[in-house]
Amino acid sequence: MRSRGYPLQYILGDQPFGDLEILCRRGVLIPRPETESYTYQAAKLVREIALDRKDASKPPNKARPLRVIDLCTGTGCIPLLLHASLAPHFQQLEITGVDISPTALSLAQENLEHNLQLGQLASSASTDIRFHRADVLGNGNDNSVPSIESILKTQFPNFGALDTLPPDQESGCDLLISNPPYISQTEFRNGTTARSVRRFEPKLALVPPYSCSGIEDCMPEDIFYHRILTLAFKLKAKLTVLECGDSSQANRVVALHKRLASAESGKSSAEVWPSREKDLAENGFHVTDGSRSVIIQTLQ
Amino acid sequence: MLSRLHWWTSSRLVAAPVRLFSQTPIAPAKPLPPRLKINDADISISYLKGTGPGGQKINKTNSAVQIIHKPSGLVVKCQATRSQSQNAKIARSLLADRVEAQEKGDKSRVAIKAAAAKKKKASKMKKTRRKYRELGEAGKEGEIVEEEEDEIEIIWDDDVKEEGESKESTPEVADVSKPSGESGKNKATSGVGNESESSG
Repeated sequence: MRSRGYPLQYILGDQPFGDLEILCRRGVLIPRPETESYTYQAAKLVREIALDRKDASKPPNKARPLRVIDLCTGTGCIPLLLHASLAPHFQQLEITGVDISPTALSLAQENLEHNLQLGQLASSASTDIRFHRADVLGNGNDNSVPSIESILKTQFPNFGALDTLPPDQESGCDLLISNPPYISQTEFRNGTTARSVRRFEPKLALVPPYSCSGIEDCMPEDIFYHRILTLAFKLKAKLTVLECGDSSQANRVVALHKRLASAESGKSSAEVWPSREKDLAENGFHVTDGSRSVIIQTLQ
Repeated sequence: MLSRLHWWTSSRLVAAPVRLFSQTPIAPAKPLPPRLKINDADISISYLKGTGPGGQKINKTNSAVQIIHKPSGLVVKCQATRSQSQNAKIARSLLADRVEAQEKGDKSRVAIKAAAAKKKKASKMKKTRRKYRELGEAGKEGEIVEEEEDEIEIIWDDDVKEEGESKESTPEVADVSKPSGESGKNKATSGVGNESESSG
């Protein structure tokens, strides 16, 4: 089986992700080490932001939990790792994992229980982490899968009314993180994508669906970023972290963010991480190619 | 009546020496020196993974971790698990052990542990040899195998020595009254005691 490129993680049934053990099964993307690295980085930034807020002489609001949304969650590795690294620092957490695939969602739930059993997660994780089925791209026209908006409305009561509220309000989310499908149709075929990945991992999690749903100002492989960035503005996300396929795609996402941000009020900064050579080496990213993440911070 | 019985039993308890199953004294384990803390500024960690373009386009991980300790120039590599963070943890402790061993020599954690293990093994080997020698004697199969005694089990040797001395101090009559086989055995054990005494 291995000789034909069948992923080891599907045979063994799990993959280490930080201190967690993530169960893997056919039909769900295997967690990547790069994802692990930027998830840790995101957790670090969230802690730093929270510390800054406390220093800004504002009484820390105990009633308000830290809100995290992970889109295209897959195995649920990002929500679980975030909970593991944030739970010691925040009393209240609200982590939402969203995916379109029912297989992925059931596996994510299984992973939550599995890691609780292993003792890698705090017992509060079972109530703090919720997984929902939703279509990130869909606009709610198709009734079979709920749109992302309808899910977010249940999570954030004043989701629609956020535009009218001042940015530093009770609602809004602290971290929007996503590892969306980002491989273009041509890259999927021309050998850039490894055979093992192409054959055995779900295409749904790798290549964005080819659809022209009114988004013309970006490449077909970038449609998820367009959608997620729009959502990030609506949610007033304080921190947005997105995984990209390579540095050129990451730069495209930064440019896309600039275009979208010009229409919005409020300042924000977008950067590719890791970009310095030292960060690249220390976090296990390839120096010249390989995936990158884009980190967008809303500046106050 | 009851109190007298109690007195009797207690006196008997005092009179009879407490015999443990194990004849080695139960000594509390000596605390090991604390682990050496390695300063993060002194080390450079490199992860040997991601040999090509990464992310979702490829599923290849080499989770090996290599740590270089700059002040001493020691290099430690760990590839024990599939998890990079666990490998890093293991590599750190390995490096700490190595650095400590280099700094302190015989007084380092690793050296103390190794010495304790060596001692334990030697004592076990000695017991094994003694057992088989006695078995061999009982069955009259072979001669006493000459062996080099090591001075680890002092208590055991003392016991034997005491036995031997009491034997020697008792008058000859008592010796005659006993069966010849047993006396011969006693002589042999006393011989062992003396032998160990001379070597130690």
